[in-house]
Amino acid sequence: MRDWQSPRVGAMRLAIETRNLRKVFRGRPAVDDLSLEVAQGEVFGFLGPNGAGKSTTVKMLLGLTHPTSGQARVLGQPLDSLEAKRCVGFLPELFRFHDWMTGRQFLRFHGQLYGMSEEQIGRRIPEVLELVGLTGREGERIKGYSKGMQQRVGLAQAILNRPELVFLDEPTSALDPIGRREVREIIGILKGQGTTVFLNSHLLSEVEMTCDRVAFVNKGRVIRSGRMDELLRERLEVELRVDAVTPGLRAALAPLARLTQEDGQSVLLEVESEDRIPAVAEAAVGSGAKLYALSPRRKSLEELFVQLVES
Amino acid sequence: MRNVLLIAKFTWLEAAGRRLIWAIGLLTVLFLAFYFMGVEFLLDSFRRRSEALGRELSGQQLLIPNAILVLMGMYIVNFLGGLMAVFTTIASVSGEVDSGTIQSLLPKPIRRWEFVLGKWLGHLSFALPYLALLALALVYGTALMTGYAPPDPLRAVGLMMLNALFLLTLTVLGSSLLSTLTTGVVMFMTYGLGWVGGILSSVGALTGSPNLERFGQLTTYVVPSDQLWRGASVYLQPEVLLRTQEAARGNPFVGTEPLTAGYLVFVGVYILVTLALAVLVFQRRDF
Repeated sequence: MRDWQSPRVGAMRLAIETRNLRKVFRGRPAVDDLSLEVAQGEVFGFLGPNGAGKSTTVKMLLGLTHPTSGQARVLGQPLDSLEAKRCVGFLPELFRFHDWMTGRQFLRFHGQLYGMSEEQIGRRIPEVLELVGLTGREGERIKGYSKGMQQRVGLAQAILNRPELVFLDEPTSALDPIGRREVREIIGILKGQGTTVFLNSHLLSEVEMTCDRVAFVNKGRVIRSGRMDELLRERLEVELRVDAVTPGLRAALAPLARLTQEDGQSVLLEVESEDRIPAVAEAAVGSGAKLYALSPRRKSLEELFVQLVES
Repeated sequence: MRNVLLIAKFTWLEAAGRRLIWAIGLLTVLFLAFYFMGVEFLLDSFRRRSEALGRELSGQQLLIPNAILVLMGMYIVNFLGGLMAVFTTIASVSGEVDSGTIQSLLPKPIRRWEFVLGKWLGHLSFALPYLALLALALVYGTALMTGYAPPDPLRAVGLMMLNALFLLTLTVLGSSLLSTLTTGVVMFMTYGLGWVGGILSSVGALTGSPNLERFGQLTTYVVPSDQLWRGASVYLQPEVLLRTQEAARGNPFVGTEPLTAGYLVFVGVYILVTLALAVLVFQRRDF
């Protein structure tokens, strides 16, 4: 937080970087030694079980909560920088807004808080309303909005200032499947504009569809992070269907893959990468087995999540 | 500074949006109407009695009843204005925290001190002019009906506003630190403490107990509300009434001695320190 220069300036501009970030609430660490790097322009998924410290991390990065120790920079600036805050948007998990305002009043007020000019605000409000699908409802009080509409207006608030970095904490928790799809599309649009998106979500299938990179946190630490495709590729499973599983087949496959499951006519293998699949087929046929089917199965993010958290 | 004004303006928007302004306006009109009706009834009964006695009613004879009437009215205005300053401000900061709206406010490019100061400014720009308007309407409305005006109503209103400002600032401090409910209870107790202190020192004066009097005076440094009212009441009483009060000694509801400049400076510093503390406490909080 203090005089700390980013070590990777020039190599890759980082939207977020934290080093040994720690937050202790009454002796209990909520975030413990969290080190994280998020590059500009990527959609980053921040995953972990309840109470893993995800929201606390986001709140520290937004200046809502003061870190106990450690360092962090947002858009290359220290956490209390107004300059950085001008370029950041946030949709809180428990979105509660001043519901006596109309949608338009609410967005105007937040535009003023961002320091936008009246002209910018006037131009931007119809755009974000269109984007979140609230056009025509801006004259109504937020009190009368459904939960889903409230989350949408919150999203509009978060992107009103054309942020360089936007934090979305469970942004689809109140939305139906169609609303969720729309939010995914919005995230896609933001990515297309070069916006960095920091996504906290429990909906792993959604994270899988939208994120470039993810980090898994548990007990306040990052336990795994990486590119989504690489993380998932690591965990490739192949199912073989043969006439009979023989000791010869097992022996032939052993050097190539790990056998995780078998019954009389099929085996489930875990292989390191796709490149191994032809060799697996050759070995199976070479052992004398009749190969009826060979189907690779990607491990889902959910399986990876469960495995990481439970281990 | 731009952000301070923005938050202050927002306070007004909120008061309008929640229809607070209308509710207060309506009840204030009702209060004044009742008061003026009371004045009218009283004047009427005086007139009738003097007619029955076949005597002319001179302004001089009505001086003391009129002065007491205004004094009582202003006592209520002071109470209402102070309470209004507290109640409209109780949720100023804690309301945003309790409801969670703070989470979309503080990540904006705005300093925390700007937020607290904006809330303070917004609420005082509402509560203080309200008190002044109510007090002046009462004083000059009565003057129009009776022809009596207290010696220095502006100075009295100034002190009453200082009291409201003190209470409001203390409420902002409570609201920056505690929940809305707790702030309300704390402020209510504080208000009561000031009152009890004032009454104790009056009782001390009346019974000639210097210890009790000193103890009561000590509370005027903790909660200056009652003392400020007594100071204000001096400017609302004509000479005759002041001398009567002095002779009677120890009326717990009014004072006879103007406040010293030193005490006023103390109250000013007290308010500033309270405000600074509110900012400091809010800076350190986690949400």
